[in-house]
Amino acid sequence: MELKQWISQMSIGSLLTLKLFFATIFISLILGLATTFLYTSKNKYISKITGFYILIMRGTPLLLQIFFVFFGLPYLPFIGKYLVFDRFTAGAVAFILNYTAYYAEIFRGGLLSIDNGQYEAAKVLGMTALQTKFKIILPQMFRVSLPAISNEAIILVKDTALITTIGLTDLLQVTKTIVNRTTNISAFVVAALFYLVMSYILTIFFKFLEKRFAY
Amino acid sequence: MNMIEVKNLKKSFGDLEVLKDISFDVKKGEVIAALGPSGSGKSTLLRSLIELEKIDGGSIIIEGNFLCKDGKYPPEKKIAAIRSKMGMVFQHFNLFPHMSVKDNLICAPLMQKTAPKNELIKKCQALLDKVGLIDKIDAAPSSLSGGQKQRVAIARALMLNPDILLFDEPTSALDPELTKEVLNVIKQLAEDKMTMIIVTHEIGFAYEAADKILFMTDGYILDYDTPEKVLKNNSNERINQFLNNVI
Repeated sequence: MELKQWISQMSIGSLLTLKLFFATIFISLILGLATTFLYTSKNKYISKITGFYILIMRGTPLLLQIFFVFFGLPYLPFIGKYLVFDRFTAGAVAFILNYTAYYAEIFRGGLLSIDNGQYEAAKVLGMTALQTKFKIILPQMFRVSLPAISNEAIILVKDTALITTIGLTDLLQVTKTIVNRTTNISAFVVAALFYLVMSYILTIFFKFLEKRFAY
Repeated sequence: MNMIEVKNLKKSFGDLEVLKDISFDVKKGEVIAALGPSGSGKSTLLRSLIELEKIDGGSIIIEGNFLCKDGKYPPEKKIAAIRSKMGMVFQHFNLFPHMSVKDNLICAPLMQKTAPKNELIKKCQALLDKVGLIDKIDAAPSSLSGGQKQRVAIARALMLNPDILLFDEPTSALDPELTKEVLNVIKQLAEDKMTMIIVTHEIGFAYEAADKILFMTDGYILDYDTPEKVLKNNSNERINQFLNNVI
């Protein structure tokens, strides 16, 4: 009956939500790590530029960034014509740029938490800078960062709803259409359950990771 | 043969001169205990010997090679080669918390490919046996007591066959009972004729185990002689004042 129909329509909308979620989390975790390295680089200019990027991304609304990428970038002089994205790509680019900045700061916090003694021990044991980074520092940094990564991932699931504003049919957009069509607002409750289930699965997954890498 | 020669070493942190004019030698197989009040520069001196601190002037010669000549350092590769002759044990152990005891011991030699893995594991077992922790080989560092952690740290340093071992207040983070088990391991190493410098506040241990006491205050070496002479028959007012305060 009606509920069944809703669920199947919302499932299809959820696919887009999930697509955006996974694209953002994978790419921005990797770019976030790279950004942390740039930010903590000894080169002052690289560090300053990266700091400026993080300031912009964290200091302005994500919704505004989505609008800017989708509507604004094509109007840039010279390079604008190469920056015309379809709706999903534009949304994903904005999300990735934004979450990269947050993950960079999370990883930086993880780095700061590592005692200097770890670097010194690695040094007197004859490890190179690269060996120290990959075998000693990064594993500990990831472990320390896990709760914050998890927190950010859950925020991301819900933030995905913002892409309805550039006309994408994600879970929220499907729900809105159902409510408009049936004038029955209980569809919102069903959508809430969808988001809740996704967040809950993430919570369990990250709890598992935390246990797995506990020390 | 001199394992360590230090000549006119100077070191400042900003405007603060922590090591003013340090010269001393350490011969093969000697155990040196560095004593002195907090802030006298003992730890900084020790850390300079393995290049955890860069000195501003003077020379450090390790087994005939200049780690630093008149305040100038050779290229990193050369420094690394000289550093590899030494091992260091820290006050706060600095074990790698995300690795088992075994991996703590074998990770560095594995990276340097000093020997095949099965040989390294055998060596790891032998060293853990020596420090009395063979049953903890698969344990996580977080499950060990402070004394056990420090004994693992000593075994880890020994994995790389250092000619010289440096101890930076190895028992300062331990209670008296755990201190004893660590000091016993160090005494055992002294019997094996390992060349060692130990920064410590354990006067009794220094008297018993050291061949020489290096007594420091305010960035100078006040005395460098046998424990008998420094600790029992000393005419120096500053040293006696220190001894009276700690005993």
